[in-house]
Amino acid sequence: MNQNQNSTANGGNIKLQVSDLHKSYGSHEVLKGVSLTAHAGDVISIIGSSGSGKSTFLRCINMLEQPNSGTIAVTGEPLGLITDKRNGALKAADPKQLARIRTKLAMVFQHFNLWAHMTVLENIIEAPVHVLGISKDEAIARARKYLEKVGLKGVEDKYPSHMSGGQQQRVAIARALAMEPEVMLFDEPTSALDPELVGEVLRVMQDLAKEGRTMVVVTHEMGFAREVSNHVIFLHQGRIEEQGNPKEVLVAPKSERLQQFLSGSLK
Amino acid sequence: MIDVNLIIEKLPAFFGGTDGAPILSTSEGLQLTLELLFWSLLAGLALSIPLSLMRVSRNKVLSTAVWLYTYVFRGTPLLVQLFIIYYGLSQFDWVRDSWAWQYLREAYACAILAFTLNTAAYTTEIIAGQIRNTNHGEIEAAKAMGMSKWLMMRRIVVPSALRRALPAYSNEVVMMMQSTSVAGLVTLADVTGVARRVFSDTYMPFEPFLTAAGIYLVMTFGFVWLFKKAEGRWLAYLAPRKH
Repeated sequence: MNQNQNSTANGGNIKLQVSDLHKSYGSHEVLKGVSLTAHAGDVISIIGSSGSGKSTFLRCINMLEQPNSGTIAVTGEPLGLITDKRNGALKAADPKQLARIRTKLAMVFQHFNLWAHMTVLENIIEAPVHVLGISKDEAIARARKYLEKVGLKGVEDKYPSHMSGGQQQRVAIARALAMEPEVMLFDEPTSALDPELVGEVLRVMQDLAKEGRTMVVVTHEMGFAREVSNHVIFLHQGRIEEQGNPKEVLVAPKSERLQQFLSGSLK
Repeated sequence: MIDVNLIIEKLPAFFGGTDGAPILSTSEGLQLTLELLFWSLLAGLALSIPLSLMRVSRNKVLSTAVWLYTYVFRGTPLLVQLFIIYYGLSQFDWVRDSWAWQYLREAYACAILAFTLNTAAYTTEIIAGQIRNTNHGEIEAAKAMGMSKWLMMRRIVVPSALRRALPAYSNEVVMMMQSTSVAGLVTLADVTGVARRVFSDTYMPFEPFLTAAGIYLVMTFGFVWLFKKAEGRWLAYLAPRKH
């Protein structure tokens, strides 16, 4: 499971580049200059205690949160940012460009965020049909392909509320895959799941990593960070405290903070 | 004692028949009630969807204007609104000179206009409330998928809000159906209007008004049944799983 281990070191095709991101809520600065570069095939885990800013950082990447400064570029295309007069933070200069960039950054949420009034199939084909503009038949074929990939059968006509959390999260992953994104963002994808359902979601994510998909994963699963990702970032109080190859960083942490954090979390 | 023969004799009048003429030979009674209800609900619903979007809009001018409208129409009796439109509008020369006068001089159009504005006010607030209740996570998912604001409203927020509005809207429909009975006070022979006419012809109050009450009750049952069906269809996702 050490695939892509050295892709960062090798350079290569940069899918996502985030530089010096700052974010404040009022006078409280939650991100104090965080940067990240994801090359094709990278699986980057972001770890840290709650309040470290890791989810906020991920949500700034696709502008679900407004950063105060910093730059974001996806497949080499920089996102145009201007000051939002309402709150002084940054917002997209061109909503159309933001929408286009967001289609390349599919996101999987902690609470799945499936559209409750739509069936599984409708959830998956919605954005491919109405945002990407592909035909409905093609979208349905895609949906079936990705449902199979996440190991779900015979659920197309079910409503999300009639499924287990693990199944819902796998539908959400299929929905993200159906956009055929450049980078997948995972925001604590297993944190809302019952312990016995965590494995089925992690296995799907591991398969995606093996396929060479570029993923940025905010997670509490140290096993996933160590075994599946090729780069790990430890955030503490809005700064990158330590980062590098998980086999080194997680096994022999240099910073005291990370040592404390790891001793507090079960392997 | 209640005169059953009188009820039977006058029953056709409630369904648009005249003495000696078959049911539905005129558009009075039940048919008129249903017509007034149908057109005002249709127009009211069509108005309330854009109005509810304006009501929840971040634009203060828009949302305050719609709030003022719904507040006025929900804060005054429907009968007063109907009288203002039917008797009041004719005072203005510019109304009488306008193309709309050919409709506004008719009680029928005035009733539909008053009912439409009234039900649109209530329905706007029902839908706006459900739009505000939309799960924030579902909105974030729509944004993260690259949906424009308009697409997200059209595909996610409004369809979801309309479904969740169904139970409250079914109450509004039943209330509106009963409220159409005020149409009789501006000369229209709806179910209540027919009952009043029978009463003034025969001086028998119980029989015609009981007949009218029975007709409204059956209609209420009908609407409640229809909305139960609709909720089973459109709100299936909120139902407990069946297996």
